[in-house]
Amino acid sequence: MMRRNIILLVVLFGICAAAFYFLLKLPDNSARETGFSRHPMVRQPKRIISLGPSITKALYLLGVQDKLIGDTIYCIDPPEAKNKEKIGTVVEVNMEKIFNLNPDLVLATSLTNPKAREKLKNLGVKVITFSTLKDFSDICKQFLELGRLVDKENEAKEIVRRAENEAALVREKVKDFYKPKVLIQVGARPLVVATGRYFVNDYIEFAGGINIAKEARGGIYSREQILKANPDVIIITTMGMAAEEEKMIWQKYETLSAAKSGRIYIMDTDEITSPTPQSFVKTLEVFVHILHPGGMK
Amino acid sequence: MRRKVFHWSVWILVLFCLLLATVLFSFCAGSVAMPLKKILKVIFEGRGTSEYSILFDIRLPRIILGFAIGGALSLAGVILQGMFRNPLVEPYTLGISGGAAVGVCLNIVLGLSRGLGIISLPVCGFLGAILVILFVYSLSIRKGILKIQGLLLTGVMISFISSSLIMLIMSISHTEDLHGIVFWVMGSLEEPNWLLIKLALGIAVFGLAVSYLFCFDLNAFSLGEEEALHLGINVERAKRLLFIVASLLTGFSVSVAGIIGFVGLVVPHFIRMFVGSDHRILLITSFLCGAIFLIFCDTLARIIIAPLELPVGVITGILGGSLFIYALSKKQVSLGGK
Repeated sequence: MMRRNIILLVVLFGICAAAFYFLLKLPDNSARETGFSRHPMVRQPKRIISLGPSITKALYLLGVQDKLIGDTIYCIDPPEAKNKEKIGTVVEVNMEKIFNLNPDLVLATSLTNPKAREKLKNLGVKVITFSTLKDFSDICKQFLELGRLVDKENEAKEIVRRAENEAALVREKVKDFYKPKVLIQVGARPLVVATGRYFVNDYIEFAGGINIAKEARGGIYSREQILKANPDVIIITTMGMAAEEEKMIWQKYETLSAAKSGRIYIMDTDEITSPTPQSFVKTLEVFVHILHPGGMK
Repeated sequence: MRRKVFHWSVWILVLFCLLLATVLFSFCAGSVAMPLKKILKVIFEGRGTSEYSILFDIRLPRIILGFAIGGALSLAGVILQGMFRNPLVEPYTLGISGGAAVGVCLNIVLGLSRGLGIISLPVCGFLGAILVILFVYSLSIRKGILKIQGLLLTGVMISFISSSLIMLIMSISHTEDLHGIVFWVMGSLEEPNWLLIKLALGIAVFGLAVSYLFCFDLNAFSLGEEEALHLGINVERAKRLLFIVASLLTGFSVSVAGIIGFVGLVVPHFIRMFVGSDHRILLITSFLCGAIFLIFCDTLARIIIAPLELPVGVITGILGGSLFIYALSKKQVSLGGK
């Protein structure tokens, strides 16, 4: 008796599962219909969503801010970017909000949740992902790519050309200067430093310095290693209160030459880590100033 | 007997209604507000509009996945708690989630997902889970007898080892990979692949059906293994099958949705307070209640600080934990088996 009941139940479950399966087929097809017909072959995007501060900055630089309809809560430069519709953070985005804004181009970074990127693509939105910036030429390359995407190729080329010239001039100027040993600290607890795999390394090298953490593999670094390498300059990117605290910690080490000469600086994170070719050159000037005060040889 | 069946039917009916209400709530709520009236209009007339897409391509998959994962995790919780006669056991105790997490982390760090596409993440997670299941199982089986306590201890150790391994991987990986790992560990019901969602649903329902075949065995287990044997239960077969069902449910859930804590621990206890510890009703109601709970939590996570989204684990932990403590203080019931 009981057995029969159970068998009946199992059969019922089977039927339920089958019903569910067919129900699910319905939206599956509609996704394809609605999705891919939304924007057939976009040539000149008119509704752009940016998922990275540097992308937002670049869009403003290229003069297409009117087409930018949404960005992240981290997009604060230029200040007008704050007024755009916010669709989430750099990493976690609100799918509904993006979709409802009906964009024809979403510019994502490698930090954007990969599942979200995939999902948007499935919904028929054109998603372009920019990888992590490795060096200055990478910055220029991505900027040019962005220019092509928003149909501002010539403007982009011009900006890149100018930035490259300026960078070359700076390098020429500092060529014969004394090369100080530099450390850029991008995180405290754990101690994270800028390695050679990250474009921040190019600030140091272009400005005529030596990055003591260039060869490091991962981000986390040991304090002992730093003391041993004895950098002449330490640059801390702001992490709120932590930056001041970190500065005090470094100042306690009397043997550290950066502490002895008082060359520990705090810089704004946004300025350093979300570059366009133009802002890179601007920040580079600051670095030259820090590494070679008064044009010191 | 008849009164019992009536009582149970009422519970199932109530939970079904709750499920329906939660699903409707989840459909309506979001950063793009859609009142009930509008939804009906969109469903019947709105094919091809962006509202239709939001409902059926963004909200519906999450609801279905929430149903499947919530149900599967609570079901695994009931099975394991019943089998081990231990109220603290949950699906993640046996190290299965740890194995899946290590699998996914290795995938991200080695860059497999870049070459093979994002689908390789759940695949690697599932492989990791299966490896752990096989390992734990083979260690605890002696002369055809599954040692329950050994199983539990090995599982706990495996989860410690794997969480250390994850930390190791995280500390030596590059920044861009780190984000992928953190995402995954936090757990989310966002899943772009329809096939995986359907599969999750299928496996959850299948798990419920199979475990229901063993509801009498589970009831007998609550008296102790020896007593169950004397009652004529094939104890070894039941233990083995139940373990495999519970681990597959967990392994699959974890590899699709990441680690969503608390559902598998709290829901079975919570339900036991209301319907009692007869597994004939406990299995079904736990499944339904887990599904309701997870869908509800996920909806909250979506809307609480919109347009930003909270990890769903935050809500399940806070809401589940406090609700449970409240219920516990109101109603003194013996928890778990014995």
